Order: sequence, then structure tokens, then C-alpha cells
Amino acid sequence: MIDYLHDESFEGFLTCVFLHYYEEPAAGIYAGTVYQPSMLHTWRLVETDQEKAERVYDAISEKISMSALRRCYHLHLSDSPDRYNVAFHYIVMGFRLGPKVGSFHGDPIVHEAQRLARKVSFEAHRLTGLVRFSVIADDSGQKSEEILYARLEPDHDVLELLGDHFADRFRNAPFLLHDIRRKKALIAQNGEWVIMKMSEEQTPVLRTDEKEYRRLWKVYYDSIAIKERTNPACQRRMMPVRYWKHLTELTELPEDG
Amino acid sequence: MNRLEKLRILAEGAKYDASCSTSGVERKNVGRMGNASCAGICHSWSADGRCISLLKVLMSNRCVYDCEYCVNRRTSEVERASYEPEELADLAMEFYRRNYIEGLFLSSAVEGSPDRTSERMLHCLSLLRNEHGFAGYIHAKIIPGTSSELIHRIGLVADRISVNVELPSQKSLGTLAPQKKPEGIFLPMRQITDTLADRRKIGGTVEKGIRAKKETFAPAGQTTQMIIGASPETDRQIVKLSEGLYDRYRIKRVYFSAYIPVRQSPLLPSPLTEPPLMREHRLYQADWLLRFYGFSADEILDEGNPYLDPFLDPKIAWAIRHPERFPVEINKASLEELLRIPGVGTLSARRILRQRRYAAVHYDDLKKIGVVVKRARHFILCCGRYYGDGTQEPEPLRQLLLQAGTGTKSQSPINDGNQISMFQPLAARGILG
Repeated sequence: MIDYLHDESFEGFLTCVFLHYYEEPAAGIYAGTVYQPSMLHTWRLVETDQEKAERVYDAISEKISMSALRRCYHLHLSDSPDRYNVAFHYIVMGFRLGPKVGSFHGDPIVHEAQRLARKVSFEAHRLTGLVRFSVIADDSGQKSEEILYARLEPDHDVLELLGDHFADRFRNAPFLLHDIRRKKALIAQNGEWVIMKMSEEQTPVLRTDEKEYRRLWKVYYDSIAIKERTNPACQRRMMPVRYWKHLTELTELPEDG
Repeated sequence: MNRLEKLRILAEGAKYDASCSTSGVERKNVGRMGNASCAGICHSWSADGRCISLLKVLMSNRCVYDCEYCVNRRTSEVERASYEPEELADLAMEFYRRNYIEGLFLSSAVEGSPDRTSERMLHCLSLLRNEHGFAGYIHAKIIPGTSSELIHRIGLVADRISVNVELPSQKSLGTLAPQKKPEGIFLPMRQITDTLADRRKIGGTVEKGIRAKKETFAPAGQTTQMIIGASPETDRQIVKLSEGLYDRYRIKRVYFSAYIPVRQSPLLPSPLTEPPLMREHRLYQADWLLRFYGFSADEILDEGNPYLDPFLDPKIAWAIRHPERFPVEINKASLEELLRIPGVGTLSARRILRQRRYAAVHYDDLKKIGVVVKRARHFILCCGRYYGDGTQEPEPLRQLLLQAGTGTKSQSPINDGNQISMFQPLAARGILG
């Protein structure tokens, strides 16, 4: 038994699953960055192998199901330190049981995989509503062009799950979703999107009327609440406080006007 | 008047409209900006815990009607304002591209006449769809008394339309909103129901002129709303009325809004009355039983029990009254039977069925499946074993469940799944005047 460590890519993880079946059985699979060596098992840092990864990828989708594959991918995006082990055990069980593995809701392995994966897809869904764009003036070209810019700090690495939704919605408006916690950004134009590294956190240049619209939104936000029904506990349950700092309606307007 | 003031006035006038739902239609970006997601998307939650997903405003709060319960009634002393169609369309687009909102919910006070008001609303919505290429969500309120031609045209640009029944009986409508005639409400509702039914028959398209042009009429259907607590109807009357609306008018949702006192009037509860939020909450629970759990109104309440138990969920109350139906064996019950067990929801019932195809469902699995075990255990057998506290007698069982705190937990608004905004008094909606 051995602990396999990988480079935190989905392909790296799948390569480890391959090695579990074709070389030495795995005791656990971990992202190399978070691994705590133990006395019980030796460990091996696995180099990602595209071909091996693809074989496992195809095997999961054919022998288990597409939804199992999607679930494993969502687990990969989760921020749980144990995510790769959860996915690994789920896959092992899936190869044993086939497509029906997803029906064993009471099984601890299946339950944990479904619970963690659901957290990821739920956060992505939640952020389709909670992302706030600002219209910023792009001063790189001669003409002043506009781009929509939003900052977010999701718990899970859900940026790419937001791509299709916003790229379709804002097909004619270029936008940038900036995950400042993971220092990367989703950049979209004409319905296409890519993910890039983005570390700098300079203050964007707002379009002149941006603050006016923020103010209008805050006024709307305050006016639509019914004071006789004030219920902060409910508000916080639906919209946890950790998201508030990027919400226009719940942050102060920037200085100077 | 500046834009901030105007928005404040026209949002405050619209805030009692309960629906903020953006669900029911899935659409890719067919215009220049926007799409719609079938599950609905909430964008924020206001201080009252209700979700905000649409820019909910009135076209105008200048009203010719004088409905007793409404903040915008003609004789009320509130600031008045109206939007120009262009102005509102621009604002909606600017909000939309910042992802503040999922779309527009447009209502209005009756400014001049119903038709004149509806024309201005239609103008604004057409600008959004045609000039701005907006493909996001639109919910339009139908002003009672609007001509059928205008209703039809509004239905062609909106995703969802709604006519409010306002009050749970014709008598109350006559007393509190004498200028609103029942036929002004039910004729438009009937027209919408019939149009929607026709479209379904011919697959969502309609012959128009020589060439068949594909048009969709209110693809997310119609909803309605009524005020709770401004008039003397019982819960039973209200639940029966809702059932009738679902059956006869194919309404997607009936919204309730706890009456919030807006004025002193001999016809209304005292301004010191607390808004009946718990009653509203129980009515929504009953509404869920009608729509998703296969209950009929007569099962939920009968002549001997015209009001819902404020301390218990109506589903528990029903189960306690029917000891002969329980306990139910989890591994044998049909979907319909599972749905009637307190603590089992639509999702957990389906999970039970799914797991049962391959493996028995054990008591310890129930929690993982999502069943609220402290409620369900009194009503089930699991692999032949009973896990309750030994009584099926109504009163001791009721006490047990109350002590376990299972029925009263929901002082706070409910989450209706994807769209959380069911809480809302309708009292002051603009169209009431």
C-alpha cells in the first residue's frame, strides 16, 4: 500500500487511480501540496500521464456513469483536504458496482462524495447570482472600451463552472471574473472563455457613472425590504456573511463621490 | 426629482408583491444580452430575508383607485412618481449587466385607466426586448380591467404574467377594493389560462397571418397573490381557493402576503396588529402539500378544523389525525405513501425509492438520505422495526412532537427551493391603487 501524491490536476489524480489498478494499490491519494507523510505508508510523487488519465476518464464514463465522472470532477474542485480520497473510494466502489453506485445514498462513501460534490455545484449556482460586476474603462486601447469586472473569493474552485453561464448571458460584453483567493481569472469575449493566472490586484478604473449605478442599487436594496418583517437570521442563512464583502449592496461606496 | 428618489418611491410601492421567482423558463441568449435559467437564480437577500432576483418596481404609483389596504391608494399621502418607459428600460439594462438582477418585475398603479397603464408597461417591455435585445427574465403584472388584446401582447414579451386575486373572497374584494370587479380579475386569468392551454396543444407555436411565426406566450406561466389577514376568511377558505386556482386556472404559484397595517380604517385590522407571519408560513406549508405532496385541501383542513395549527406543520397535523395510516414501512411504501410521512420530503422520498431498487434502506441510512428522523421515527417502520416512542394516540403524539421542537422551528421564512421569496404582503401593491 502506498500513498500517491499528484500535482493537483484532475489528470494527475486520474493517473494515480490508474497506478492503483496497474501498479501498487493505493492507501490514499493526495494533492502533493497538502500531504502529511505518515509512518504507515510510503509515498510516491506521481507524474501526470495524459494517456493513463484518459484511460481512467473513459473507463469511469463508460463503466460507471457520466454523472459519476462529473461528481469526481466537482470533488476535484472542492476545497476539502480529503477530496481526492473521497473521489478515489467512490471510483473504486463505482468500478465494483457499476452505474448503480449513485443509488446507495446510505453508504458512507457514496454519501460523502455526493455531499461534498453538491457543496461545489451549489456554490457555483449561488455565485451565478452573487457575482457583482463593475463597468470599468479599459484604457489599453485608443478607443475607450468597457469591460465588466468582478471579484470573488469562492470557498471552492468554481470559476470554470461559471464560464458557460456568463459567457452566454453577456455574449456581447467582454468580462473578467477574478478569483482573488486563487489568483486566477476567467476572461470571456464573444461567448468564449478562458482561465488565466492573474495575481495583481490593482484598483480598476471605473466608468464615470459606475458609482451612480451602485448608489441606485443600494437605494433599491434598502427600499425593497419590508421593515415589519426584518429577519437578519434568515438573510444570513440565505446569503452567508463571508460573501458580503464583494456585494455592492452591502459595502460602502468608494470615497470621492 | 432625481433618479434615486424615483427609484426609492417606485420600489417601495412594489415591495409588497411577493413573487420574485425567476424559474420556469430555460432560454439561451437569443437576443444581445441575457438568458434565463429554469431553476431560477437569486441575486441577493434583503434585510427581511426575502430574496431579490428581479428589479421589482412600479411603472407609476399615481393611482385612480382607492383600495383600503393599499399604500398607493388615491387618498394616501405618499410621494408620487412615474417612470418613462425609456428610463426604466435603461435602468434595468444597467442593473442587469452588473448582475444585480435576473430581470424585471413590472407592476403599476392604475394611472389614468387600466389600458393606458398597460400600454406604458408594454412600451417599456418592448423596448427592453427589441431595442436592447434583452433575453433575460420578465415578470409582468396584469392590471385588472386591461383589454384582452393588450394582455395578449404583454404575454408575448413577458416570461411570466400574473393577475392578483387580491383577497380570498369576492365579499372582501367588494368591501376593501370596491373599484376592482371580480370579472376584471378572473376574465384576464381565464384568457391567460386558455392561451397557455392552446399553445401547449399546438406545440408552443401559433399561426399568425400567412406564415407561421414562432411565438411564445408567457412560457413561465401565470401566478397570483392574495393578502392574508386583512379580511375574515378562514385558512380553510384560503386553501380551498388556492386549490381551485391550481385546478381551474393552472396557476403555477399562489402567493400569500401577510397584511401589514398601512392605515387606520374601520374596515381593516388595527394598525397595531402584528403581521400574521406565522399564519402566512403555515399557509405556504399547506400550499406545498397541495402542489408537491398529493394532498387535497379537504385533507389538510375540514369544517371542524378551519384553521391550521400554529404550532405544528400541517403535514404533521394531518398525520396525527390519521393514526390508521401509520406506521409505514419505508422499504415497501409507494412514493405517494412516502410523501405523506412527516420528515420525508420530495427529494428524500425519491432517494429512498432509488436505493430500494438495490439495497434495503436501514434506519441509519435515513439521516444520510435527508429524512428528518426526529419527526419521521414516530410514523415509520424500517426493515420491520418501529423506532417511535410507542404511541399513535393523537394527543400524546402531538405533545411528543412539540417537545421535540419539530413543529415550531420555522419562525423564519421558508426556503422554497430555488426561489426563496414567498414572503410578502401584497397590501400595498401599486395596481391596487
